[in-house]
Amino acid sequence: MKIIEQAIQRGQKTLSEYESKLLLSEYGIPVTAEKTVTKEDDAVKAAAKIGYPVVLKGSGADISHKTELDMISLDLKNESDVRQAFQKLTSNPKAKVKEVLVQQMVKGDRELVVGLNRDPQFGPCVMFGLGGIFTEILQDVTFRVAPLTRWDAMDAMEDIRGKKILDAFRGKPPVDREILADILIAVGKIGLDHDSVNEIDINPLKILNGNPIAVDALVVLTTDK
Amino acid sequence: MANQNLDILFNPKNIALIGASANPSKWGYLILLNILKGNYRGLIHPINPKEKTILGIQCYPTINDIPGSVDVAMITTPAKVVPPLIDECGKKGVPFIIVVTSDFSETGHEGAKLEREVVARAKKYGIRIVGPNTMGIFSAKPTLHALMPPVMPLHGPVSMFSQSGNVGVQMLAWGFDEGVGFEKFVSSGNEGDLNCVDYVEYFGQDKDTKVILAYLEGIDPDIRFKASIKEVSKKKPIFVFKGGRTNVGGKAAASHSGSMAGESRIFKGALRQAGMLEVLTSQALMDCAKTFSHYPLPKGNRIGILTRGGGWGVITADSCEENDLVVPPLPDELIKKYDKILPKYWSRGNPVDMVAAIANDPFLECLEILANWDGIDAILALGAAERGFKFPHDPGVKEPKELVDTLHSILQFIESKKNDRSNTLEGIRSLVDSSGKPIIMVSIGTDASHKSYLEEYGIVSFPTPERAVRVLTQMCNYQKFLNSRE
Repeated sequence: MKIIEQAIQRGQKTLSEYESKLLLSEYGIPVTAEKTVTKEDDAVKAAAKIGYPVVLKGSGADISHKTELDMISLDLKNESDVRQAFQKLTSNPKAKVKEVLVQQMVKGDRELVVGLNRDPQFGPCVMFGLGGIFTEILQDVTFRVAPLTRWDAMDAMEDIRGKKILDAFRGKPPVDREILADILIAVGKIGLDHDSVNEIDINPLKILNGNPIAVDALVVLTTDK
Repeated sequence: MANQNLDILFNPKNIALIGASANPSKWGYLILLNILKGNYRGLIHPINPKEKTILGIQCYPTINDIPGSVDVAMITTPAKVVPPLIDECGKKGVPFIIVVTSDFSETGHEGAKLEREVVARAKKYGIRIVGPNTMGIFSAKPTLHALMPPVMPLHGPVSMFSQSGNVGVQMLAWGFDEGVGFEKFVSSGNEGDLNCVDYVEYFGQDKDTKVILAYLEGIDPDIRFKASIKEVSKKKPIFVFKGGRTNVGGKAAASHSGSMAGESRIFKGALRQAGMLEVLTSQALMDCAKTFSHYPLPKGNRIGILTRGGGWGVITADSCEENDLVVPPLPDELIKKYDKILPKYWSRGNPVDMVAAIANDPFLECLEILANWDGIDAILALGAAERGFKFPHDPGVKEPKELVDTLHSILQFIESKKNDRSNTLEGIRSLVDSSGKPIIMVSIGTDASHKSYLEEYGIVSFPTPERAVRVLTQMCNYQKFLNSRE
């Protein structure tokens, strides 16, 4: 795949968020609408096209912990919000930002995590569990060895303690498990198709009206091959 | 070499014991003793160039001197002489060798090299190897106890392989106390050649095996693990007790997926994908073996609870709820039925509390109503064989006379109830058969009566409701796997 090859040639250890999502969408995984820009005016144009509210994020392969680096501006409702946020991001003292990601703002009502890693015994394995800040705190995740059958994917959803998060909840519809299963199967397939993809992190995978959508994504490449 | 049939290994017509010894402190003596004591139905040929006979059995100087063919050779010699012995067996046309000898890959680099050498030589002759570093095998049909320790297990439909010889043979011995019988057992040792997948596949197609147990510490990458074991899981349950469940750790990872993986979580996932049932304690492994080899599976997870007194019923219901089992409310129609036969202060719900009645409570009648109700899939029956009256046969008091007489009449009463109890137990088993629902008995306390309920009546009974619920949960998990399989 071109995105991966080019990134490796450029010496990247990871794909940028934007590149990561391009890879995910190649495999049919729903991702946020987004565009990378370098100029403030282009950010405004992109925001108008995506539709308000939007999110601005510092972008680039070397930026992976955006929250810690203060590189996310959420819930920007109009042009002046976007301009202000663009200026703030590009003058961030903690990191040099050359590129900004303008992204659809997804509030969502639940946060899940889907990931991939490589096990020395079993090869590529798909992770599924509770997302967002709870991923590390609760460690409520389960793994399945790729390739996943549909039954494996459905069973993984039953295999976390917080499985009720997938049910109808506070007036919100249940998570569409078929789409979620497609995503788990697809992530496993990426691992099998690309030896150079060492790890994937989709966190959070937010739920909007029952539909999962990848809001943040990171692909870690195997660089020692 | 997938699906190699291991029938000859587990049903050999004869065995050569290479390294047989007249010294009672040697494995080559003790294994021979176990085979002889176990009344092996085939022929055993000790191989020893110095002895004429050991334990009264004729010795041969080499395997080549044995007239006719040899099905299985068992080797207990020092490691360094194993490779040439493989050649001798190969020339003799032996299909299986059990290498008891240790000092192979488990001891490091040099040992691993020697092990590869042994396996490579065997492969040349088409020989399959058990071990090395194995404690041997057991097989019920030929009553073959080719084991290092003197273990004579009960016979039954459970087959086991264990990557630890100790854990394995002690499970066989423990099964004796629990009434759990075994069909085949192999201590798989270092799995230099035959590995866990081979054994599971074989037990899967073995018609005498109903339940498979596995003690695993690690598995080599094997593409058959998921697909072929899943095929076996569709036919019979495979319980896995995993040793070494700590995380590999230390792996610096740039993402959550990497840092949270760990061997244990991935292994759990892989087991579930293969339809295997993981147990977390050795007791659970034994409890599952016992229950699955005697009872039908529940169709679903709805549980009826029958109890003689509130507290244990409450504990049982709590345990069910905590394990995703459903304890459904009784419909009016059933309440009316119970109203007719129970005191008016009975619980009028599920758990069905018959309330503490000393004598003549309609236990079987109550159980039958529950078993015939289509709103439940399994039953936990508490207090069927109440053992609360642990009176010594001598009342222990001499006066006053009225007290002594009363104690004597209580003893007589208990004695007279023995028949009733036997009828109750027979009735429970026939309800299991007629309803097709597992009725697991809970009788508080750990004495030998649980074994007698199993052996005399075919009833599965546990000393605590929690253990019964844990097994029932596994039964439901397995049924769910069978229902939802692709």
